[in-house]
Amino acid sequence: MPTIDLETETGRKEALRRMLTIRQFDTTAGERFADGEIPGFVHLYIGEEAVGVGACSALEDDDYITSTHRGHGHCIAKGLDPKPMMAELYGKREGYCNGKGGSMHIADVDAGMLGANGIVGAGPPLGTGAALTIDRKGEDRVALSFLGDGAVAQGQVHSAANLAATWDLPVIFLVENNHYGEGTPVEEQHNVENLSATAGAYNVPGITVDGMDITAVNEAVTEARERARAGDGPTFIEAETYRFHGHFEGDEELYREDDEVERWEARDPIETFAQRLIDRGELTNEEYEALQSEVETTIEEALEYAQSAEEPAPEEAYDDMFAAEVPEITEFARRVRADGGDPDGGER
Amino acid sequence: MGAHIGLIVNPAAGRDIRRLTGGASVVDNYAKRRVAECVLEGLEVVPDPPTALLMPDTAGIAASAAEEISGVETDLLDCSPDGTAADTRRAAARFSEEADAIVVLGGDGTSRDTALECGDVPLLPVSTGTNNVVPTAVDGTVAGAAAALVATGAVEAAAVTYRHDMVEARTKSDETVTGLASVELSNRSFVGTRAMLDPEDLTGGVVSRANPADIGLSSVAGATDSLAPDEPGVIGLRLVDPDTAPRTVRAIVAPGVVAEIGIEEGYRLTDGESMTVDVEEGVVGADGERELEVVGETVEFRAADRGPRLVSIEAVFDAAGTGVFENG
Amino acid sequence: MASAGLEAEATETMTVREAIRETLREEMARDEDVFLMGEDIATMGGVLDVTGDLHEQFGKDRVRDTPIGESGFMGAATGAAATGSRPVVEIMFSDFLGVAMEQVMNQMAKMRYMFGGKTEMPVTVRTTEGGGMGAASQHSGTVHSWIAHFPGLMAVAPGTPAAAKGLLKSAIRSDDPVFFFENKMIYEQSGEVPVDEDFTIPLGEAHVEREGSDVTVIATQRLVGESLSVADELEGDTDVEVIDLRSLYPLDTDTIVESLEKTGRLVVADESPLSYGTHAEVVARAVENAFYSLDAPIQRVGVPDTHMPFSPSLEREVLPDGAEVRDAIERIV
Repeated sequence: MPTIDLETETGRKEALRRMLTIRQFDTTAGERFADGEIPGFVHLYIGEEAVGVGACSALEDDDYITSTHRGHGHCIAKGLDPKPMMAELYGKREGYCNGKGGSMHIADVDAGMLGANGIVGAGPPLGTGAALTIDRKGEDRVALSFLGDGAVAQGQVHSAANLAATWDLPVIFLVENNHYGEGTPVEEQHNVENLSATAGAYNVPGITVDGMDITAVNEAVTEARERARAGDGPTFIEAETYRFHGHFEGDEELYREDDEVERWEARDPIETFAQRLIDRGELTNEEYEALQSEVETTIEEALEYAQSAEEPAPEEAYDDMFAAEVPEITEFARRVRADGGDPDGGER
Repeated sequence: MGAHIGLIVNPAAGRDIRRLTGGASVVDNYAKRRVAECVLEGLEVVPDPPTALLMPDTAGIAASAAEEISGVETDLLDCSPDGTAADTRRAAARFSEEADAIVVLGGDGTSRDTALECGDVPLLPVSTGTNNVVPTAVDGTVAGAAAALVATGAVEAAAVTYRHDMVEARTKSDETVTGLASVELSNRSFVGTRAMLDPEDLTGGVVSRANPADIGLSSVAGATDSLAPDEPGVIGLRLVDPDTAPRTVRAIVAPGVVAEIGIEEGYRLTDGESMTVDVEEGVVGADGERELEVVGETVEFRAADRGPRLVSIEAVFDAAGTGVFENG
Repeated sequence: MASAGLEAEATETMTVREAIRETLREEMARDEDVFLMGEDIATMGGVLDVTGDLHEQFGKDRVRDTPIGESGFMGAATGAAATGSRPVVEIMFSDFLGVAMEQVMNQMAKMRYMFGGKTEMPVTVRTTEGGGMGAASQHSGTVHSWIAHFPGLMAVAPGTPAAAKGLLKSAIRSDDPVFFFENKMIYEQSGEVPVDEDFTIPLGEAHVEREGSDVTVIATQRLVGESLSVADELEGDTDVEVIDLRSLYPLDTDTIVESLEKTGRLVVADESPLSYGTHAEVVARAVENAFYSLDAPIQRVGVPDTHMPFSPSLEREVLPDGAEVRDAIERIV
């Protein structure tokens, strides 16, 4: 069973709720970041919700995903809980990574979420590896790697795609083409019009879909998943989308014009989908408003949870490096924490 | 004033889900540019080649093809493309006034978008892939040569063109979907990735041509009836599950997909007759692509009241004979 | 930290190459999740014939020839390890690690920590190091100091066939990423290897190969054997203790300190470049923990910060060997 079945009315409403949850989560994260409450960087997914939710809805619960630096949407789409997510953004112990990862490294391996990633293009090799495990163990599941348009220029993406295609591994490469690699337009970074064209180099199918339409993304991933499960190997899907905010919060966006942003905002993936459901008679305006306020409550609760959660104790910085005990870490930590430690130099 | 041809190149590549689900082949933009160059080269088959008017496209295919060509005068239309079907329609509207023949590099959809706006200007749709009903799979140079012969009057347009009927679906709420070869009804809920996905999704529609060698609903119709594109009338079909159908046929429903299709009813619609279908939930498509989501609608299928004049390339060269090509 | 008592075990004479291959065979037989991947390791048996016939026994699903794309297959190994596989990767020459380094440093090394300990990373990376074959700069590097330096990775470098077996078993069974550095000039070196299929050497334990009281030589890889020969040559004159460091990270400080408390003199012999490396770390541990035991300046034997030149005469010039170890001993005894 897909995680969310868009063929059903209930499924469509759940998908709408997830998109709204992402929008609200990232709106809140952006505000809290601007207020200086959230450290580091945040990269917001606002505008791209149909890609994450369209894709993850088509997956099953035990499928794997790898994400990108813009990963909040993928996490929520995969079913992660906004509370420990927000707590992770705040660097709290209750965060998914106990405060060690932050926005760019949220992961929940048990839920099949193999991590957001601060390195552009690093996810596809990892997704290929998850698919290798699936293939070797004969499991009925797939891996999906999200990557941005910029990542298509990375050597390791090519290297992984070639491996996955040559070994017919059950992995899907989903390129979120939001038209800018940081501040450089996609046409200045690639010599092909459609990034799905790169699939030709691996002798696997590549298709481009409207990333502002959740049904298009969902359908493409559903088909690609079937192909992967059948042992036919990877598929490249390019979803054309747009981020409504800058590359990171605080980006002055000198590289794009307001009217371009407005043109894309007119195709807002959430508003257009909600309108379709309203037109179909599946959703009333009142229900839509109620859904929005439910989601606001969910994120407010997540925010309160994060704000009131505990800071990790400083000595927790020394945990989690290795599964094994490593004496160096214990010893160096002891010296740091004991104000430099004993200058013993052995027996005098 | 010299003759003009219009050239439309659809840059959309890789948008067809059938390359994943079926056997659709896709031609990349580099190859399309080379075909466009061939079309332009082909114009030189006449001593005084027509000027080529080019539709600008988001991938810059037409512009770079024009740069490569020296023996033919080219002129890029002054409009900025947005990467949608509107580009094609705008260009076709201009060509309806300024061109003497139009070459389209694209599939059924691009040909239809051109046909909607190009009036009576002779149209040569050239298939750059293999998945289409209407466009001809022909070398670009040959298509360019044929366009030049028609545009310059070296052959008489009336003698080498035929009217291709079109079909349409209209909803109660007055939305219309027009197709060149077919308009279909799918029981999917959404437009999604557009292409018709599974044979079992098809529940009916109307075709302007019926031939087992066509791909899609026209192939289904062609399994029981025969209808040339310029023959008056269209064929309406109601399809059902093959297991409960009064008759079943085998048809090529998509590239790489031969399926058993159950036909409940199939009939000729002439003189403004229509076929009406009550749709609880579904999508109306045109030429194999889903276009319009409908819920709780009544959809009326019928012949459209117009259609383009398509050039028969074979007829062009027959009419030209050998004399046209001799010097002095 | 007591090392497994080799002397008490039943042993068999094997080369380093055989010890590695047989260990891989035993571990693959023991655990279905263990599989090998690398360039030309199946049909060809590995360019230096280490994997040999393993593909015949386990099939090409478990001994996988990869495309020549280290970044892709290193990443795939990392992703596989995070999802329940136990891959053993071969990087044909350690110099090629450069191609794979992004996945090593930003993914393999960091995932466990970044995720708050919520994933394991049971991957082993085997690779060959060292000059002596006239293979020039891009096939002769000794890069283990990079890996040993980088947090989140373990690094081992056996100097004997027994160490090769015990360390490789521990590496494969470890839930952490372990790099296993094989010096290509000692594949044919023979020694006694315990036959026990569960013979492991803990990661982070050095081993005293020869006891002595005048000077400690801490050596790695090829220089372990060469230092033992030097110790034999000097017997009666100078009593040399030779330690195979075995693990570069974690590093066995206790064994170093114990030895220095006895000898007071230290030579560190490792084929890596001299600056900022393995030698420096051993020396730092010595001065931090055995400062008052030291009786003479510490000596380092290694590559004088050059790449490996091609011409045999040039290569001989920069490669450290037993003669240099002997000179170093003689300078401080």
